[in-house]
Amino acid sequence: MLLAYVVRRLFWSIPFFFAVSLVAFALIEAPPGDYMTTFAATLAQSGDIVDQERLDALRERYGLDQPFVVQYWKWISGVVRGDFGISFEWQQPVSDLIWERMALSVILAAATLLFTWAIAFPIGIYSAVRKYSIGDYFFSALGFIGLSLPNFLLGLVLMYIAVVHFGSDVSGLFSAEYQQAPWSWGKVVDLGQHLLIPVVILGTSATASLIRIMRANLLDELYKPYVTTARAKGLSEWRLLVKYPVRLALNPFVSTIGWAFPQLVSGSVIISYVLSLPTAGPLLLQALLAQDMFLAGAFILLLCALSIIGMLVSDILLAVIDPRIRYR
Amino acid sequence: MKMRVASHLAIALALGAFALPASAQMTFKEAPALATQVRENRLPAVAERIGQEPEVVTPREGVGRYGGQLRFGLRGSSDHNNILRMVGNMGLVRWDPEYTKVIPNVAKSFEVSPDGKVFTFHLRRGMKWSDGKPFTADDVMFNMQDIVLAGALSPTPPRYQSADGTPMTVEKLDDVTVRMSFSTPYGDFLAELASPLGQHPVLYARHYCSQFMPKFNPNVQALVTEARATDWQNLYMQRCGDIEIPARWGNVARPTLDPWIAREAYVGGATRVVMERNPYFWQVDTAGNQLPYVDQLVAPIAQDVESLILDAIGGRIDFQLRHLDAPANRPVLAQNRQRGGYDFFKAPTPGGTNMVINLNLTHKNPELRELFNKKDFRVALSVGMDRKEIIDTALLGEGVPWQNGPHEDHPNFHKRIATQFLEFDAKKANELLDKIGLDKRGSDGMRLLPSGRPLKFRIDVIPTVQPEHVDMLQLIERQWARIGIDMDVNALERTFFYERTSNSNDHDAAVWGGQSNWAPGDIPQQIVPVHHDSRWGIPWSFWYKSGGKQGEEPPASVKERMKLYDEARATVDPDKRRAILHKMADIAADEFEVFSVSQGLPTYGISKTNLKNTPKEIVNSWYFPTPAPALVQTFFWAN
Repeated sequence: MLLAYVVRRLFWSIPFFFAVSLVAFALIEAPPGDYMTTFAATLAQSGDIVDQERLDALRERYGLDQPFVVQYWKWISGVVRGDFGISFEWQQPVSDLIWERMALSVILAAATLLFTWAIAFPIGIYSAVRKYSIGDYFFSALGFIGLSLPNFLLGLVLMYIAVVHFGSDVSGLFSAEYQQAPWSWGKVVDLGQHLLIPVVILGTSATASLIRIMRANLLDELYKPYVTTARAKGLSEWRLLVKYPVRLALNPFVSTIGWAFPQLVSGSVIISYVLSLPTAGPLLLQALLAQDMFLAGAFILLLCALSIIGMLVSDILLAVIDPRIRYR
Repeated sequence: MKMRVASHLAIALALGAFALPASAQMTFKEAPALATQVRENRLPAVAERIGQEPEVVTPREGVGRYGGQLRFGLRGSSDHNNILRMVGNMGLVRWDPEYTKVIPNVAKSFEVSPDGKVFTFHLRRGMKWSDGKPFTADDVMFNMQDIVLAGALSPTPPRYQSADGTPMTVEKLDDVTVRMSFSTPYGDFLAELASPLGQHPVLYARHYCSQFMPKFNPNVQALVTEARATDWQNLYMQRCGDIEIPARWGNVARPTLDPWIAREAYVGGATRVVMERNPYFWQVDTAGNQLPYVDQLVAPIAQDVESLILDAIGGRIDFQLRHLDAPANRPVLAQNRQRGGYDFFKAPTPGGTNMVINLNLTHKNPELRELFNKKDFRVALSVGMDRKEIIDTALLGEGVPWQNGPHEDHPNFHKRIATQFLEFDAKKANELLDKIGLDKRGSDGMRLLPSGRPLKFRIDVIPTVQPEHVDMLQLIERQWARIGIDMDVNALERTFFYERTSNSNDHDAAVWGGQSNWAPGDIPQQIVPVHHDSRWGIPWSFWYKSGGKQGEEPPASVKERMKLYDEARATVDPDKRRAILHKMADIAADEFEVFSVSQGLPTYGISKTNLKNTPKEIVNSWYFPTPAPALVQTFFWAN
């Protein structure tokens, strides 16, 4: 039953993926002009004479003068073979540029997700069980401060404090000696240390909403007759809590995993920008600004793929956790 | 900068002095790390590496010591020109540190024929590329014949053509001598070679880069496939780059003539760039020490300017002006000088104005076009601005009311074009506007066009290039409203700005930073419309650039100036050249096509206090390009 469901979902992901890729490509193409216009503007700004002939020659070589459908076909048929095209700006194959950045983005997103959950679960449970206690007010207030503080501001303030008061640099994901080094245990530890600040910054805003969701859901469940029944039958408070109401209250967490991934990648663009994190966000932003379409397209496509996979995972998990879900 | 004498061709005199091999009796020394490599037989001896005729450079303060690294900050992507400015544009010739004359660089010396048509360059004997292979006239021939003039990678830039459009000819006279000739006089040629855009003759190493061209390597397709490139041109760009693209710093294997070569390359996704000393660099100091002194240039890449400022405050930037030099950053940088261990150096503007207002005199709408072309309208707008208020508010009091052109201390200074119609006089502005048929007003108090439609126009601006432009325009918007002129500020992203103004001529008006002193190599775009930044007459500039085939035929006074401009570019004698420029400025002053608020503002950079041989003051200009002519390779750490 479950297996058939998974297979069916997997199958439907494929046409969905192509539909998404078409939309992504169309969006990238949408702004007026193309990479050559941006290139000309860059050259013009430093005083070079922009020669129309040169731009036209380049446009033809890059195939930017062809109709949309042809360009899309060339791109997507390459992607299927694993060739994402070249980045106009860097003149490098796109596949050389994206994977490491994507990997770091996923690591950052996963770490943030875990951090958020680790904070939000216990606090949510606590503030539901001890409703209107001092602790409930304290954590709720803290969560709301985190939610209302803009990430980038928090980032800048932390950076300023680190530089001015501790003389240390908190930007980036690696220390200078590890930046170009091959992966090693030392590098992993170094990454872990650098992850702390961005994870805390990104986590502060996400925990608040999760705490409230957890609290509200749990409160709904806590006063249902089955809880009273279980309590009357003498089940210990802790077992009772974890076995039934919490399990049901988890539902919204699980069903949002699918959005969490792309949300964390795109939601972290500004913070990555401010903290100079080598994640996908800033590179994607720059690619979009420069209309470096194959680079931008590859990122957007991967983000879409991530959310499709995320949705799939959350659907499967939901089915596992909540026996009420039907495989239709 | 009292000595900003633009005598571009004091050059012609300089050639004698530089021909003497001052290095003949020298014993050469090298950095300890290189000496070790020589002892281990991994590197030839220093005298062999630098060749028989290295350039002997006199450091600004004194002979330095080897070691250490120099840190500067790169911003996001597309900051390749920041690397170029620090490493230096190693062209055949360069500007002297005062930006007054062109002096030899890669070329040991040069001669210019009296008619300004023939330029002969003598290269340095025994000079090497950074991989140890010889640098000879064949490399220049490869760059000019096979790349530039053949249009192999892109059409030939106009700077390598005579005024009549025929391409230059290049000949190899012997292994160390090349001659470049034009069919018409070309007085500005050396200045153009000294700018970063004039590096073509010595950009690529023939022995390395030719392998990526089908003409030299029939099996190039194999390399293309292996590199997953789209075609050989793409492969060539990946491996050898171009003057102004990121890929220039993206390949550690590319041989160069620069003081430092890439070790951690500038590629997509990089978080820092590291350049390390070129063991074959061809300059020595007066004591015979091979340059550069500093072992490495290290440039972390920050996405955000704010984090660069934090780096500066935290003492993690050793020398920098780009990105930091906005007026708004100055207080916080000044406050933290002690903590960061740095001090300011001055970086004055080459001249001109910090923001020139260009009404589109070739507007597509005939009614606005007619109005903009009335001189009285432009005079009214100019005297309708309270420059003092703008300078005090938007420019924090820095700045001097100014219209156009070089400053008083520059030999090209032209009084009338710089200072006419500066006085704020709302009454006169109103009178002039009433007189030219704008006397009717709408219900909102704004003036109506003679047709009865409201007079309304937008000024296009890029908010990110010079952030103060938008502040200035907002004040001007208010001031003009008081004389009944309805102007809107239209902030546009850079690409769209170019597309709308310089390409399609769809703008009503636009502003641009008019820093300019009309020196050779500097295009006087605000007195003659020959450039994409002449946004007061874009179709006229198309007409000029296409030799009359495209665009729109300009009025007689503009055509006259275009003729004079060609003459000025051809003229070798600095005084004669200046006289022609002033003739153009006279006409431009009569016409009063463009106007501005203030002189170009002086900028600044920061430099660590124990970093020596750094400039105390250096003109800030891309054509120079700052700070390269101060010779970053002579900077050194005093303990």
